[in-house]
Amino acid sequence: MTALMSDASAQLADDVVPEHTTRAARARSLLALPSVLWWILFFVVPLGILVVYSFGQLDIITFKMSFGWTFDNYPRIKDPLYLNAIVRSLLLAGGATVGTFVLGFPVAYFISRQRGRAQQLLIVAILVPFWVSFVIRTYAWINVLDENGPLASGLRRIGLLHGSLGLAYTDKAVLIGMIATYLPLMILPLFVALERIDDSLIHAASDLGADGRRTMMRVVLPLARPGIASGCLLVGVPAMGEYVIPSILSGGKVLMLGNVIGDQFLTVGDYPFGAALATSFMLALTVFLVIARMRGQGKEDIL
Amino acid sequence: MKRIKHPVSGMMTGLVLAFMFLPVVMVFVNAFNADQELVRWGGFTTQWFSNVLNDSRMREDFKASLTIALITTILSLALAVSAALWFRQASPGRRSLFDLTTIMRLVLPEVVIAVGLFVLFLRLGVTLGTWTIIIGHTVFLSAYATVVLQARVASMGNTLEAAAYDLGATPFRTFVRVTLPQLAPAIAVAGLLVFSFSLDDVITSQFLGGGQVETLPVLLLGLIRHHVTPEVNAVGSVLILLTLITFFAAIAVAGLRNVGGLNQADGKEL
Repeated sequence: MTALMSDASAQLADDVVPEHTTRAARARSLLALPSVLWWILFFVVPLGILVVYSFGQLDIITFKMSFGWTFDNYPRIKDPLYLNAIVRSLLLAGGATVGTFVLGFPVAYFISRQRGRAQQLLIVAILVPFWVSFVIRTYAWINVLDENGPLASGLRRIGLLHGSLGLAYTDKAVLIGMIATYLPLMILPLFVALERIDDSLIHAASDLGADGRRTMMRVVLPLARPGIASGCLLVGVPAMGEYVIPSILSGGKVLMLGNVIGDQFLTVGDYPFGAALATSFMLALTVFLVIARMRGQGKEDIL
Repeated sequence: MKRIKHPVSGMMTGLVLAFMFLPVVMVFVNAFNADQELVRWGGFTTQWFSNVLNDSRMREDFKASLTIALITTILSLALAVSAALWFRQASPGRRSLFDLTTIMRLVLPEVVIAVGLFVLFLRLGVTLGTWTIIIGHTVFLSAYATVVLQARVASMGNTLEAAAYDLGATPFRTFVRVTLPQLAPAIAVAGLLVFSFSLDDVITSQFLGGGQVETLPVLLLGLIRHHVTPEVNAVGSVLILLTLITFFAAIAVAGLRNVGGLNQADGKEL
């Protein structure tokens, strides 16, 4: 670490600042240290402990941990209860990604074609809900989706709904909550990518005889690809580990991976198994991100 | 040149905005709804607000939340400013190594790092409470602050500092009079971001509070899980107003693009 830093300061002395500041430069090269130490102590170490725990054993009677380097915790993931939670997390995260894209793309496109004040106002409007208390925002959907709530009674009044809405406390409610929560995270990167597309390209396409649909598919979408990739990543990855939304909107009935992991520590007390779940999750995530990064053109396109 | 109209995407934008704002509006309406079950409009009341004000547990938790958010903000900013100053003089290879540590903290789902820290503190025999929550918040919120500050640093250049040196300023004086003022808007935005996210956090606060210290969002989550209580809407509207004030303060201080995080995504100053 130190070798790495002093090397940096040597290089700095050579080419950036006049030589009388070499000492200051050396001091400056230590400035990354607090962040790196914090990262090691409170990120690397705890995750390392989780990995070690995942090979440990729990005495059912005394609740004492012992480290026998056993693999017994991992096959238990195949239990239908946990497998269901994993499959459900994948489906809900996928659903949220597709849902936010389908809803978010037209919005991002529309905003990117506005100018000046109108554009700024629209961006503020997209950002405001994102800053509103997350628990409260999620909770509000309980009232909206209630059998007697505004959605159900509104649909009944215009004759579109007879009988019950059947959304409250289901995984559909969880999906709706997730889409609403993650929409800004999809819209913003899409907007950034779409804004760079010059109007003249769209004009050129239509001058050359492409209709709106063809222009969208052959010109706009390919140019927006980096934005689409980062939007999908920003929504899909956190959605996979979602914890609060299912516990509020399903009334605790719809379990996702995040809930299953959390419960092992908060209520069940089976730390080794919880650690095994968390470790597998981290591993899968790493593999996924590495593949995503290799397939993307470069880092700045993805994140 | 003819102007392209976008009727379909314009309509979709309206619908999506309605979809996003519907729950927020519901919270405000129900905060004044006298109906106990909140299924219909039962007349106007401010009873839920006075219930909240007289609830000592809510006041206590709100105080705990504010304390935690404030200290987390200070710590995160200290880490992020320091890292950003290192960042501008580091070689590209080390930068991308450092970036990796930031990105890891941003993408890993919060539950995983929360249970990791939970086990770490348990192993060390540390009593869970205010400080363990602060440590947990700082782990991932300092990453947000670092991203915001790095974006600013990347667009700064060092000609002004070089000029200050040439004119005989000491490194300390240069930092205080030249570097810091240039960083100020980014520091303000990062601080407001960290503060409001910390104030809003549930997962880390729940795992690392250990039942001794409870923040307001954790209390609200508990109330919501048990039953729909009208008081939640009253607290919610107050929290919404508070974060909105923070949000517009951030815009006023630094301009929209910094707040939206559009600067670093774009890689150039706009």
